Amino acid sequence: MKNSVVIKGNKYGIMVVLDKDMPFDELKKDIAEKFKQSSKFFGKTSMAVTFDGRELDIDEEREVLDIIADNSDIEIVCVIDNDKQRENLYKQSIEERVSSSVSENSGQFYKGTLRSGQVLECDSSVVILGDVNPGAKIISTGNVIVLGSLKGIVYAGIAGDTSTFVVALEMNPVQIRIGDIMARCADDNSKKRKKNNKPETKIAFVENDNIYIETLNKEVLNDLHF
Amino acid sequence: MSEVIVVTSGKGGVGKTTTTANVGTGLAMLNKKVVLIDTDIGLRNLDLVMGLENRIVYNLVDVVEGNCRPKQAMIKDKRFSNLYLLPSAQTRDKTSVTPEQMKALTDELREEFDYILLDCPAGIEQGFQNAIAGADRALLVTTPEVSAIRDADRIIGLLEAGETKKRADLIVNRIRMDMVKKGDMMTMEDVQDILAIDLIGAVPDDENIVIATNQGEPLVGSNNLAGQAYMNICKRITGEDVPFLDLNGKSGFFSKISGLFKK
Repeated sequence: MKNSVVIKGNKYGIMVVLDKDMPFDELKKDIAEKFKQSSKFFGKTSMAVTFDGRELDIDEEREVLDIIADNSDIEIVCVIDNDKQRENLYKQSIEERVSSSVSENSGQFYKGTLRSGQVLECDSSVVILGDVNPGAKIISTGNVIVLGSLKGIVYAGIAGDTSTFVVALEMNPVQIRIGDIMARCADDNSKKRKKNNKPETKIAFVENDNIYIETLNKEVLNDLHF
Repeated sequence: MSEVIVVTSGKGGVGKTTTTANVGTGLAMLNKKVVLIDTDIGLRNLDLVMGLENRIVYNLVDVVEGNCRPKQAMIKDKRFSNLYLLPSAQTRDKTSVTPEQMKALTDELREEFDYILLDCPAGIEQGFQNAIAGADRALLVTTPEVSAIRDADRIIGLLEAGETKKRADLIVNRIRMDMVKKGDMMTMEDVQDILAIDLIGAVPDDENIVIATNQGEPLVGSNNLAGQAYMNICKRITGEDVPFLDLNGKSGFFSKISGLFKK
């Protein structure tokens, strides 16, 4: 496999790393080939692109963009210069938008028990008025609050937002994921644990790349910032 | 007022067929006109548990395909003249019948019977879809084991999600009070806690059930705990309010056994 063209994903789109020594015409063929191969993977999307590894002048850049458009369904929204200062600017503005969309007080309610095999996906925070049984799954881009017993699988902040949290009246999930951090329940006998502990409301949140589960009280609530 | 009831569980081997046979017989004892339909096409065994195997001429697939009239395929029970069995075919598979055909059949039988009990196959595929198609309500059989409960939970989800929401009542089967007391088996409360549906019956694990099943004589109504538990389920189905049996009962089977050991 030639490595003259490498596509890398970053948070905002893709970075195309180009060989700097290869003649441009040959490189164009490789780019076409590469995007043809990966067009299925990307599907129909729109994203930003960054070039790296080789200086491209305006004409060359345009040619490369045409090749990408011809060989895949990717719609290039903009080209970002690979320039630290600008990247930071860009990062900042995107993160502002992302975080503002989450901290918008949008949420949904779901009434009823989620049973084995059922999946609830939400594009916002979600409050579940019922239990989440083993084998069921909740996927949310925001926070998840279970007014019942959480015994299934829960993904909060699925778009990568680690400032989200999960609250349950009875916290007993098989697996919990916040942003891109994952934790699973301990392998000890869940029955025994259940007998020892009285159910109490708990919150799961991320700190230092780890998921912590703590009893919900005023102090913990005050420490929350999202 | 006739009712179509499906006996289902998701997991196999928890006692659907035994429950169907006993509940059906019990309802017949209460002077209801009952037909049991075995929808487990290809794995026929309700006829064995009822002890009626040698009388089968036509089966469910024959009825659905129009080879015979429902009347011809239904077998009258040995003991009760108001109890009938519609056996399934042994040489065909679940795809021989569609949910629409099952619904049409159960609707036809409604006119003549008080209760139509469907013995559902294990699983959630076509056989299950066939069985639930015409049902008004479900009896969900489970044992106090995590695997059976997980499957039962899935079934409740499917019953609730269908076009017509079906009411499901829970039967917890094969409870062993000795193990529950030692904390080695889930209690009925634990099971109900997870599934969160109404409990209609709790049946203890009883060797008499195995004996009765093998002899093809349902034990409902007999003088042991399991027989009484099944009878109570039947009464609750008819709308009667019956208190739950004390499975630790002083005069019960288990205490007799443990009493023997104490001596």
